[in-house]
Amino acid sequence: MRIQVISCEVMFREICHLAARSRNQVDLAFLPKGLHDLKSADMCERLQQQVDRASMANYEAIAMSYALCGNGLAGLRARSIPLVVPRAHDCIALLMGGQDRYRRYFESNRGVYFKSSGWVERGVTASQLTGYGMDMAELIAKYGEENARYLYEELNRYRQTYHKFTYIEMGIEPDDRFEKSTRAEAAERGWEVEKIAGDLSWLRRLVDGDWSPAEFLVVPPGHRIAPTWDDRIVEAVEETTEAG
Amino acid sequence: MGRQRMCDPTLLHDAILTGDHKTAIAVTKEAIAAQIDAMELVSRYMVPAMDEVGRRFECEEFFVPELLLSARAMKGALELLRPLLAAAGAASAGRVVIGTVKGDLHDIGKNIVGAMLEGGGFEVIDLGADVAPETFVDAVRQHRPQLVCLSALLTVTMPAMKETIEALDRAGVRQSVKVLVGGAPVSAEFARKIGADGSGENAAVAVALARRVLAP
Repeated sequence: MRIQVISCEVMFREICHLAARSRNQVDLAFLPKGLHDLKSADMCERLQQQVDRASMANYEAIAMSYALCGNGLAGLRARSIPLVVPRAHDCIALLMGGQDRYRRYFESNRGVYFKSSGWVERGVTASQLTGYGMDMAELIAKYGEENARYLYEELNRYRQTYHKFTYIEMGIEPDDRFEKSTRAEAAERGWEVEKIAGDLSWLRRLVDGDWSPAEFLVVPPGHRIAPTWDDRIVEAVEETTEAG
Repeated sequence: MGRQRMCDPTLLHDAILTGDHKTAIAVTKEAIAAQIDAMELVSRYMVPAMDEVGRRFECEEFFVPELLLSARAMKGALELLRPLLAAAGAASAGRVVIGTVKGDLHDIGKNIVGAMLEGGGFEVIDLGADVAPETFVDAVRQHRPQLVCLSALLTVTMPAMKETIEALDRAGVRQSVKVLVGGAPVSAEFARKIGADGSGENAAVAVALARRVLAP
């Protein structure tokens, strides 16, 4: 089977690893991690451009290496080729190998910020625009000293509610550089680190075309992705041309 | 000039628009000394300034920092005017209980909406982040707000919004409040589906939305 995988760059190493070993002929396209900082409609628009481009080529399917991702995939349309998307809320579930495992971990571990190779080394975000990513010097330059102090406090207050990095090791990393980087950042913030083993199997099934309805939604041509707000997470909704 | 001192209230409009907290306070003090009508100051200069802030945010001329600075300037001016507004018989725009729902620790959006609502003349009771449905119920019983605002950033915690509305329902207090939901992944369709009274696409629309759902 010949498929196009469109992936968030946060899973760059995982997807490259899996594509190289797949029985399928897999073409890859990666989009910036910063898309998930955009408004969901803007993220969807960027993904749609990529899907539209892939739809002009001769693929049997387009596999999205994305989760629902803050509704960034809501509204994404399958054109002439089926779109495949995992039934996941966030990419962390994909790295953990299953939505159930993610949910259990999430519910028993509050205040956790997740790290993986991609979350360490793939850093281009849109947060410079929104102000979240600005450090004190940048804020002072833009807003003046007094305003900057106020903004810094407001924009970083959320950090007080986080207290731990959970580093997900997928077993494909070249060495411990990403873990080291996570531990250094944790030391700077006074946070704990928990290291857990990731699980490539869900992403492997995505790349290999092993798409069971329990784990994947296959969106037929002429349909779009919609969130369901239940355990299915996503469903395919037929495009209707609104009359008048 | 008589006993009135020089004061140009358009400076207050501009100070709020540019997020200049110090000037907003200074001009408000001058306006009070010049006995300019507090209600007129709010309705003719301050509210239009915040409306303009919202408009610029919508078209991405302003971002979250600008929103925060303008809300702070608005709040600073309102605090000075509050005794005068109360003396003139101006009612608060309403009382709001706000929080991020259970499981979700992301509170920046909620904090901004809280600041915008305060800037818009609402009394805001902030329950913080990761707030259980029962805590919302207790707060509604205790504070008797007109409005409950629920926030979530993660799609995985959005079902907790539905659970919170159901808890308000079970406790028999759902009819006494309007419920608004917000957060990056929250849509109008979702709000309808879970029985909320409304949703806002961003913090800039919070005040207008709150006023609209509370309008008789």
